[in-house]
Amino acid sequence: MVLVSSALSIPLAANTTAAIQPVMILLLCAAAGIGTVFLLPGKREASLRNIGGLIVAAIGLIFAALLVKFAAGTAAGGMNVYFWVFAAIALFGAVRVVTHPRPVYAALYFVLTVFASAGLFILLWAEFMAAALVLIYAGAILVTYVFVIMLAAQSTSTRAADVVAEYDTISREPLAATAVGFALMGVLLFVIFDKAADLYPTTTSIADTSLQVDGNTQELGRYLFQHQLINVQLSGLMLTLGMVGAILIARRKVVVHQSGPIVPEVLNTPATPTDDSPYSIPVSGTDNPRAKAFPET
Amino acid sequence: MTQLALQHYLAVGAIMFCIGLIGFMTRRNLIVMFLCTELMFQGVAINLIAFGKFHGNLSGQAFTIFVLVIAAVEASMALGLVVLLFRQKNTLNADAWKELKG
Repeated sequence: MVLVSSALSIPLAANTTAAIQPVMILLLCAAAGIGTVFLLPGKREASLRNIGGLIVAAIGLIFAALLVKFAAGTAAGGMNVYFWVFAAIALFGAVRVVTHPRPVYAALYFVLTVFASAGLFILLWAEFMAAALVLIYAGAILVTYVFVIMLAAQSTSTRAADVVAEYDTISREPLAATAVGFALMGVLLFVIFDKAADLYPTTTSIADTSLQVDGNTQELGRYLFQHQLINVQLSGLMLTLGMVGAILIARRKVVVHQSGPIVPEVLNTPATPTDDSPYSIPVSGTDNPRAKAFPET
Repeated sequence: MTQLALQHYLAVGAIMFCIGLIGFMTRRNLIVMFLCTELMFQGVAINLIAFGKFHGNLSGQAFTIFVLVIAAVEASMALGLVVLLFRQKNTLNADAWKELKG
C-alpha cells in the first residue's frame, strides 16, 4: 500500500507509455511463479512458505504500482481506490484458495474472493450481477461445497480434528503446473497491455450512456427476454437436467437387512373412521390399499 | 463513472483465471480442484462484465448470467460425482483414480 500511495503522489508526467513493457511482464510472471512454487503446500518448512508468500505479495504490489502508473498515463487519469481494494482482496483470496492445505479454509477464502468480485461488479455498474453472484456463489454453491467437505472429513478423520489429509499437504507437480499457469498469465497480460487499442469499440457512438443511469437491472431483464429468450429457456432446461443428473449420480441403493421371517402387516381390528366425512374412510390390509374397512353396502 | 481502464479489470480476471488453473493442476483434493474451477469461472465473469461495461451494451452481463447457470449446474453434477467417487474409495484423493489414465 505504501508503494501504491507513493506511486500515486509522484506526478508521473514523464511516463506516457501506453502499456507496461513486455519484458517487465515476463520478469514479474517468472518471479511470481517462483514465489508460488514455494507457497504451494508441500513438504517444505513453514519459513520457506512464508518467503514464497512474501515474494508473491511483493510482485503483486509492484504490478499494482505499474498499473497505477498506467492509469495515471491514460487520458482519463484519476484513481479509484475501491478497485484496488477489491482487486487486492480478490486476488489474495484466490491465492489462499490454491495454497491453503485445508479444504474448508479454501472454501471460506473462496467466499472472500466472491465478495470482492461482487464489489468489482458494483464498480462496473452491474449491481444485479453482484447480487446474483453473492446469492448463487456464496449462498448456494459454496454451502454445498462446505457441506460435502464436512461430510467427507467427518467419515475419514474420526481420530483428531487437527489432522490434515496427506494428499492435501503435498501438491502435485508444483513446478510444471506453476510454469504453465504463469506462462499463460504472461501471454494474457502481454496481449491485454500490448494490444490495448484493439480492446475498445472502434466507434464511441455505440457506447450507450443509458447504462450508467438509474440501475440497469430493468434494462438487463428487458434485454434478456427480448434478445436472449431461447438462451434463457435453454439455461432453465440445463438447470433441470443438472438437478436430475445430480440426483441420479449421487443416489444410493438402500439395502435393508431384515432378520427373521417377513410377517405381513395385518390389521386385527377394523379401523374406525375418525369422523363422519366420507373422505376419511380408512383402509385396512396391505395387499390392496384400496380395500375399505367399511365397504358401502 | 469509473476512471479506470478496461485493462485493469481484464488483468484481474486473467490473473484470477491463471491462479485457478494452477490450483486445478496442483491440488490433489477433488473438492478443491472443483473449487479452483469456480475460481476460473470467476475470472471469466469479471472479464465479461468489464467488456460489457466498456462496450456499453448488456451482452456481457447476459453472458455472465449464463456462465453462472453453467457454474451452478457444474457444481451440482461435480459434487454428485465427488460423493459417488468418495463412497467407492473412501478418500478424496484424485490420485486414487490413477488407473483411469490407462
